[in-house]
Amino acid sequence: MNEVVAFWILSVIAVFGALVAVRKRNLIHGVFALLVFFAGLSGLFLLLLAEFIAAVQVLVYIGAVGILLLFAIMLTERVTGDDDRRVTSRGWFWGLVVTAAVFVVLLLPAIQQLPPPKAAQTIDPSVKELGHKLMNPYVVTLEVLALLLTAALIGAVTAAQGVRMPKEEDSPE
Amino acid sequence: MSLEPLTLTDILIATVPLMLIFATLFAFTTWLERKALARIQNRIGPNKVGIPCTRIGLFGLGQPAADGIKMIFKEDIVPRGADRLFHLLAPILALIPAMLVLCFLPLNFPWIKNIQGLVKPFMLDGAVIFFFAITGLNTLAVFMAGWASRNKYSLLGGIRAVAQMVSYEIPLVLSAVIVVMMVGSLNAAEIVKEQADEYWFILSPWGFTAFVIFFIAALAETNRSPFDLPEAESEIIAGYFTEYSGFKFALFFLGEYIAMFAISGLAVTLFLGGGDGPGVTMNPEDQGLATEAFPGLSAVWFLAKIFALIAVMIWLRGTLPRLRVDQLMGFAWKFMLPLSILNILVAGFAWHAEQLDNTIITVITWVISFAVLYGAASGLNQLNRGKVRPREYKYAE
Repeated sequence: MNEVVAFWILSVIAVFGALVAVRKRNLIHGVFALLVFFAGLSGLFLLLLAEFIAAVQVLVYIGAVGILLLFAIMLTERVTGDDDRRVTSRGWFWGLVVTAAVFVVLLLPAIQQLPPPKAAQTIDPSVKELGHKLMNPYVVTLEVLALLLTAALIGAVTAAQGVRMPKEEDSPE
Repeated sequence: MSLEPLTLTDILIATVPLMLIFATLFAFTTWLERKALARIQNRIGPNKVGIPCTRIGLFGLGQPAADGIKMIFKEDIVPRGADRLFHLLAPILALIPAMLVLCFLPLNFPWIKNIQGLVKPFMLDGAVIFFFAITGLNTLAVFMAGWASRNKYSLLGGIRAVAQMVSYEIPLVLSAVIVVMMVGSLNAAEIVKEQADEYWFILSPWGFTAFVIFFIAALAETNRSPFDLPEAESEIIAGYFTEYSGFKFALFFLGEYIAMFAISGLAVTLFLGGGDGPGVTMNPEDQGLATEAFPGLSAVWFLAKIFALIAVMIWLRGTLPRLRVDQLMGFAWKFMLPLSILNILVAGFAWHAEQLDNTIITVITWVISFAVLYGAASGLNQLNRGKVRPREYKYAE
């Protein structure tokens, strides 16, 4: 009973956040609405007892991606964030159709076995188990991902250093 | 893992005292900080406010209450161009994460022990990683405040805060990784138990290095002086809370101090043995529960250790000048980050040496790791020393 109440509260928060994130013209408001959505999602993970995934959701999506988005907005010119108009587009009907189609396709595996089968055994997702799995069968994947991320990091630093900003004294003013 | 259903009463018993205790400690700490800073600067500090309508001063202990009453009755001013909603939400968002992480600290309050089911939710397997995840939200609140105020000084403070917190979060987490490696668990209660069984991690060379890095990064993370650039009053008025007054300002203040308690609590958990101390023995089978000489002794030890760290923070605030922005960034990326990565390697070797269970090998490892870490720290210091140039003034002289 408690779980059902918590599920509905978190779902409403998540859906509301997602809707506001899409509808708001004000970019900073949009980013914070997106973060509300991430927080709701993290709560849903917690409800499924996947506490590590929930923590990582907060750590990576809210902590890192959110800050990154805010920085990107701050560093972009001509984005002041005060535009309060709503986004309206003429293609909204077809957009809705495509969204519904994607939703159905994603749910297809679940729909095919429709009265949902009872869970055969209780899943016991623990951090320890996850760590062992990452270190034993998936260690190559983990290392390759780490290498990729390091390469991306070095690439970003190089790209950022390559562009020399003109000095303030050189400007005609 | 399964959670036994908790009633609303259980949840309230667990959470409300936590909030009340730390709010009271906050009030006491503001008084303590003002007194200590005053003594450092050869003043007396608050000494007038005591029992109302009498001349009894009580060393000014009534000062926090007077401050609180003043804050509540002050006018709440919102600048005309400000984003009213975000201006309101930012102080609340600053307080919530700080309050939330308090429940991950392995504080053995006697009333929690009476309810067995209640211990479980607090002893999360991933408590440490949850702690870092939720503390990171504070950055967003600071940014939100800076942006919503529509004031260039607020925005500058907000941007400074984000840059500083993002940079210092890396050494903070990397130094906590060492403890997680040595224990093999992210569970706060297990980390404390391991330290009670073996030794407090601050006593080993890698643990000591990690503790120093952790403490410095924690200072930066909570915007404490000497890292209080986001609110540097000599440069940008008051930084991100320039446009805040009244109760909203009080909320920021409260959030900052609660965050100080929380991060000191994590340092105590990771390096200083948590609630371990004379008169307390950790039970091997019930994780997180301890046998104490009298109920609540373990919590008292925990809070005493937190206050020792807070006292160091106050002392540093009274003695050290504020860093420059380039010094701040250079210190994080060129000194703390390499040292903490090296420390992880050293701790890894030390862990393998300890597995051999041979006293001589352990002693040799400790000596070698101390030498390596000391050499690395002084080497990094030498490397960076030549690169710090005197400040170039662009708009002054």
